[in-house]
Amino acid sequence: MQFALPPRKSPHELPGHHSTRLPLYRRKQLKTVAVIGISIFAFLYILSHIFSSSSDSLSASAGTAGVVIVTVLDRQSFSEGYISKIIANREDYAKRHGYTNFFASVSDYKEAVGDAPKSWALVPTMRHALATYPKAKYFFHMSPHALIMNPTTSLTSHILDQKRLESLMMKDASIVPPNGIIKTFPHLKEQNTDLVITQDSEGLRSTSFILKNREFARFFLDLWFDPLFRSYNFVKAETHALDHILQWHPTVLARMALIPQRTLNAYSKDSSGASPNGTYRDGDLIISFPACDKAGTRDCQEFHTYYEQWLKKVKGS
Amino acid sequence: MSLSRSPSPHRGGGWSSPGLTPGSGRSSPRGFSPMTRGVKNVSWTAAKAKSDELHKYPSFDTRNDGFFFRQKRRISARMSSFRGTTARHGYVDKDDYGRGVLHGAGAGSCTGMLGWFGNLLRRGKMRILFVALILWMGYLLLWSTIVQLYRQSPLGGGSKFVIILASNVEGGVMEWKGAREWAVERNSIRNKREYARKWGYKLEITNMLAKKRYSHEWRESWEKVDVIREIMRKNPQAEWFWWLDLNTWIMEYGTSLQSHIFDNIDSHVYRDINEYNPLNITHPPPHFYLDDLARAPTGDGDESSLHLLLSQDCSGFSLGSFFLRRSVWTERLLDAWWDPVMYEQMHSQWPHKEQSALEYIYQSQPWTRSGVGFLPQRRINSFPLGACGDDNDPAFHYQEADRDFVVNMASCMLGRDCWSEIYTYRAISNDLNRSPWDGVSEQIRGIRAKIFGAPDEVD
Repeated sequence: MQFALPPRKSPHELPGHHSTRLPLYRRKQLKTVAVIGISIFAFLYILSHIFSSSSDSLSASAGTAGVVIVTVLDRQSFSEGYISKIIANREDYAKRHGYTNFFASVSDYKEAVGDAPKSWALVPTMRHALATYPKAKYFFHMSPHALIMNPTTSLTSHILDQKRLESLMMKDASIVPPNGIIKTFPHLKEQNTDLVITQDSEGLRSTSFILKNREFARFFLDLWFDPLFRSYNFVKAETHALDHILQWHPTVLARMALIPQRTLNAYSKDSSGASPNGTYRDGDLIISFPACDKAGTRDCQEFHTYYEQWLKKVKGS
Repeated sequence: MSLSRSPSPHRGGGWSSPGLTPGSGRSSPRGFSPMTRGVKNVSWTAAKAKSDELHKYPSFDTRNDGFFFRQKRRISARMSSFRGTTARHGYVDKDDYGRGVLHGAGAGSCTGMLGWFGNLLRRGKMRILFVALILWMGYLLLWSTIVQLYRQSPLGGGSKFVIILASNVEGGVMEWKGAREWAVERNSIRNKREYARKWGYKLEITNMLAKKRYSHEWRESWEKVDVIREIMRKNPQAEWFWWLDLNTWIMEYGTSLQSHIFDNIDSHVYRDINEYNPLNITHPPPHFYLDDLARAPTGDGDESSLHLLLSQDCSGFSLGSFFLRRSVWTERLLDAWWDPVMYEQMHSQWPHKEQSALEYIYQSQPWTRSGVGFLPQRRINSFPLGACGDDNDPAFHYQEADRDFVVNMASCMLGRDCWSEIYTYRAISNDLNRSPWDGVSEQIRGIRAKIFGAPDEVD
C-alpha cells in the first residue's frame, strides 16, 4: 500500500490559522471594548453636532416682559400744555401696565439727523431707547399726535400675544395700497416677526409701530437711518424711506407684521387718509391726529376734545 | 480498489490507475475529482486519452467541483513542497516534513512559482515584508483618496467650506476672450480645483457673463451678491463661502483653510479697524444713541459673531478674496448691499462699485461693524508688485520667504499682464511645493531624456 498523505491537521499546515484563534474570554473582552468604544465615539459625535449647531438663530433676548413707549417731542413747536397732556396720557397708561416711558426731544438728535427733515429723529430715538433699556422686550414708538383712549387694554393682550398677533396679521396684503406689487408674506409666524406696523390709505405709517428687542431692530434702524436715505428727499421723509425699504429689502419685509390700522393707529374723524375701516370708534386703543402734525399743535382742536374724553374716563374708573 | 487519493505521480510514471492523472507534473493530487471516481473498467488508452483531454486545460481548471473540492484543492496547493520533495526522494519521513522545502520546490513547474510564493509567505520575516509591500502599495494608490474622502465628510470638516470662483468676468457679448484670457481662466480654475479637491472643499465656478438685467440697472458688480446667495442656497451643508476672483493664485496647496484661519479665527482677525485704517473710518461709531455693542471697538469679541472676513489693501477694502459665513447677518448684509436709492445717488462716485458700497455701508450702518473681521492682507490676499506700489512692501506684497497663501493679481487688467503674472506665481508655487519625490522623478525624467534624447515637454 502506498502511504497516504500526512495527517491533514498538522499544526504547520495552515499558516496563520492559529493566530485568529483567541480564547473565548478574550474575544468577549474585545467585543465589550469595541462596543463601548463605538458608543462613546457616537455619543461624542452627536454631542459635537448638537453644540456646533449654528449660532445664527435669533434667540429672544432674556428680557422682562417690559414694554417701552417711545415718544419724540418737539419742544420747540409743541406748546407746554400740549406736551404735558401727552405725557400725562402716557404715564397713566404705563403705570397701569408696568410699562416704561421714554420721552425724547427732537433737538437731541439734531446733529445726527443733519440736514434732513427733523421727523427723522424718531429713528435714532428708537436706537437710543434700545440702548437705554437693553432688557425690555418691546419698543413701541407712538406718535406725539396720538392719545391712548382705552387705558385698560394692555398692548400684550391687544396685539402682542402670539395668537392675537397671528390673527391680526394681514397676509398677502400690498405694502403700498391699494395695488402695490410687493405684498406681505402669506406664511408668517409670530416668532418670525420683529416689526409690527400699520398702514393708512397711502402706505405704511411710521408714526406708530412696535419693534421687538432683537438683533433685527438694530439692523433695521441703522438701515432706515442711512444717510443716503435721509439725503434722497423722499416726499414724506422717513415714512417714504420705510416704504422704500420694505419694497426693496426682503429681509426686512419677511419680519414685518402688518396689522389693521385701527388696532394701533386709528385716525380721528377729521383726518383724511384713513384706510377703509381705519377711523376711530369708541373703544379703540389709540386715536391719532395726523392733521395736527401739519397744522401745528395750537390748531389741533380735535386733540383737546378727545383728551377731555380720556380724562373723564380715567377719573370715572 | 479505490484510492482515497493519488500517490506521488512521476512524469510518465509507471504506476497507473484508471482515472488518475499520471505524469501531470502538477503538484496537487487530481484523483479525487468526481469525473474519475465512478469510472472503473476503463482501459489504459482510454484513460490516457481522458487525461490528455483534461490536460488541455490550465492546471487549475475552473470546473465547479463543489465547495469541498475547491477547498481541498486550495488546501492541497499549500502542500506542493511536500509533494515536490517526495517526488525527488521517493520517500520522506513524516518527521522531516517541511525540511528543505524552499529549495526543493519544483521551480520548473508552473505551480512551482505558486509554491515558492506560498513558502515565502510561510517564513515570518518574509511575511512581514510582504504585508508591508501590500500596505505600501495600498498607501501609494489609495491613501490620498481615503484622506480626501475623509476631508470631504462632515468629520473632516471640508464640507463646511465652499470656494466661489468668478469666471468669465464681463465676458460674453462685452468682450471676446483672447488666448491669454483663456489661459488665465483655464489655469486659475485648475488651481482652485486642485486645492479644493485636496482638502475636500466644494468648488463653485460661477459664470459672470454680463447679463442684461444688471447692465440695465447699472449694477454689474452686484451680480456678485446674487451669485453668493444662489450658491448659499445650493450648498446648505456649508458654513463658510470663500469668494475668489479669477485673477488669483492659491500658492500653498498644503495649507488648509482650517489651519490657516478658521481653527483659530481670533488670533488672525482684527476687529478694530484702527489697527490699519487706510480709509480713515471713524471707529467705533461715536453716536451717543447707539448701544454698547455698536460702540465697542471690537464688537462682542466672540468669534461666532464674525460673519465677514476680508482684508484691506492700500486703498481700502479688498474684495478679491473674502469669506462670508452663512447666517442671518450675512443675509442682511447681502440685502442691504445694493439699494437703488443709494446707488442712484452714488454710482458716479463709487469707483469700485460693490466694493465702495460695502465700505460705505460699513461706515454708515453701525450694525455691520461687529460682524466684520479684518485679516492682515497677506493672509488671504497678497498682491504682486505693481498693485499698491512697485516697491516690495511687506504690508501688501507677496513674500516668498513667508510662503504667502494666496496671490491676487488685483487690477492686473489695468495696464498689467494678467497671464504673465499668473504664470510667474504658478512657477513660484510649483517650485516651493516640490516634494522630494518630485525631485527624484524629475531626475529620472532627466536621465531618460539623456538616454533617449527625447526631452518630454511638460505643459
